[in-house]
Amino acid sequence: MSDLKKQSWMTSTAEQYGMLIAMLVLVLLFTAGVAPGALSVTNLATMTTVGVEIGLLAFGETLVILGGGGGIELSVGSNLALTQILIAVMVQHHVAMLPAALFGLIIAGALGSLNGLLIVVARIPAIIVTLGTLYAYSGLALVFSNGVNLSVFPNSFNTIGQGSALGLPFQFLVFYIPVALIMWYITTKAVFGYQLRLVGTNEKAARFSGINVGWVRFRAYMLTGLLCGLAAIIQSSRFATARPDAGATDNLNAIAIAVLGGTYIFGGRGTIIGTALATAVVTMLSFTFGYANINSVIETGTVGAVLIIAIYGQTLLQDLLKRRGRET
Amino acid sequence: MTESLADVEQAKATRRSPVAWFRASSFQYELILAALIVVVAVGVGIVSHGLFWRAANISQILVDVAITGVPAIAMTLVMITAGIDVSIGSLAGLAAAVVGVTFENGWPTSLAILMALVATTFGGLLNAFIITRGKVPPIITTLGTLSIWRAVVYALLGGSWISTIPPFLVNTLVLAKIGRYIPYAFLGAVLLVIVGAWASRTRPSFRGIFAIGNNEEAASIQGIPVRKLKFFLYTAMGLLAGVAGLLMLAQSPVVQPTAGTGFELQVIAAVVVGGTRIQGGKGSIIGSVLGAILVEVVQDAVIMFHIQSFWQSVVLGGMILVSVLIGMRGRRQE
Repeated sequence: MSDLKKQSWMTSTAEQYGMLIAMLVLVLLFTAGVAPGALSVTNLATMTTVGVEIGLLAFGETLVILGGGGGIELSVGSNLALTQILIAVMVQHHVAMLPAALFGLIIAGALGSLNGLLIVVARIPAIIVTLGTLYAYSGLALVFSNGVNLSVFPNSFNTIGQGSALGLPFQFLVFYIPVALIMWYITTKAVFGYQLRLVGTNEKAARFSGINVGWVRFRAYMLTGLLCGLAAIIQSSRFATARPDAGATDNLNAIAIAVLGGTYIFGGRGTIIGTALATAVVTMLSFTFGYANINSVIETGTVGAVLIIAIYGQTLLQDLLKRRGRET
Repeated sequence: MTESLADVEQAKATRRSPVAWFRASSFQYELILAALIVVVAVGVGIVSHGLFWRAANISQILVDVAITGVPAIAMTLVMITAGIDVSIGSLAGLAAAVVGVTFENGWPTSLAILMALVATTFGGLLNAFIITRGKVPPIITTLGTLSIWRAVVYALLGGSWISTIPPFLVNTLVLAKIGRYIPYAFLGAVLLVIVGAWASRTRPSFRGIFAIGNNEEAASIQGIPVRKLKFFLYTAMGLLAGVAGLLMLAQSPVVQPTAGTGFELQVIAAVVVGGTRIQGGKGSIIGSVLGAILVEVVQDAVIMFHIQSFWQSVVLGGMILVSVLIGMRGRRQE
């Protein structure tokens, strides 16, 4: 990568973050105006607990979309639901909590890998594979739970989703921050991240430079599965219940957050920091709406509008940059 | 121009055996679907001791097919252009909410229905505008409007249910039938499908839709009005989503804030099972309707076999994957 390209990439990322930070400030001002009480320290801490699960799913979504080639994951919410139900069923059958949770992680990784296999090996478009598994996984969650919530976890398990560490919510400090750091490392410093970006930007070039495109993409789906598993453990602990209908709206929300965070929907561009910032924007917005007693659906609508406007802004910006590039 | 040897051979083969005729047919996938539908229907009929063929069950299935089939017409064409519209579930809900609210406030039935269709057509228009003018990718645009219209539906209903629905909808669309089996809703759907299929196969202006899906830039250079066609398709999608919303209301006459949630995926599933290629350029409306029928018959079979209804979505997911695998095998042979 030439210095010039690197520089322009860096300025464009700076512009992306600028937009997100502006959005975050706007939301903060909005919160201060509508529900000033929501900005207390305890409330800010509570806010993070709400954002952890969807934030983890959005990280996975970012990876998958980064890989390009029509990469998208519609089944993250269904994976989340099926995994927490299977963990609960294992606990019901007298498996100890810790091995059950670990098995859950493996299962979630396997569910993500199945998506990856169908996409990479059977060469079915990702949107179709994950649409199919969206139905299949959430259906199986209902089958295994008989359609009811399962509250079978031991009290000790609640720490993960309800406890606190160093004054911060347990799952935020112990899971989200480390995972975010790892993801950041993977996407920016590790070979895998470079490969993923290259595969997403130019598949042919990646192939010619000896990258196993399928294997790179497959790992993105597997990692997404693992993240779904982690989110499932945290969520079922937070509610002390495994719900078969959990994550029904997360499928599309995770995509919305990733895209809002600057992940280019056709692959190749996107950052973990951007996704984390977008998660903060959306979570804070949703918390404010909840705090001010506004129906959460109105918040979803606001996110939808923000999504379209943000992407429209990006396209305008790119057109402008292209034109400027042509002139010089 | 003289006939080539291959043509003659093919003509001979066509005369010779049905297998050869099938190989030469351009409706291969549709024929497979139709055969599958017959096989499943006969099988379910036998296993359920004829319960499947009862008028009540058949007309129920036909209404379901109409609900998915009508928006599938536009969804097929949208997906042939390599686009997608995931906002139609919210738009269908919007139609139901508008009818519910206006009728409750004393509007006449015709005006309430008109208002609902105007609202969803406007929703389609907004999608079309953002996609063609704002150049925002269809998946993102409609993902955004999915949330926006859902919020509007909640705002309209204020979180409560409305159960005063124009009796006209239920009476004429679902209860009125031809010969106990065919509800008018299905008849109307068939009419729309015929118009759509005819237009997309024969009208020169509509043939451009396939060109867009194969290569948008090339289509644009060739003088195909890419923007206009897309604009029309997404707007029509809104209108047909509204029609589907009305049909849903006719089938179960109560408006909930969640009406139509997840409907978009069901329609996309029918279209995909119907053989439309998600990357664009290929697909047929007839295929999508057959896909809708197959999906509904199989879903009904799950109930007929006394399998837990939870399996329905598992089966649907499996059908999507299997049908795409079959469709892809056929394409590789080409």
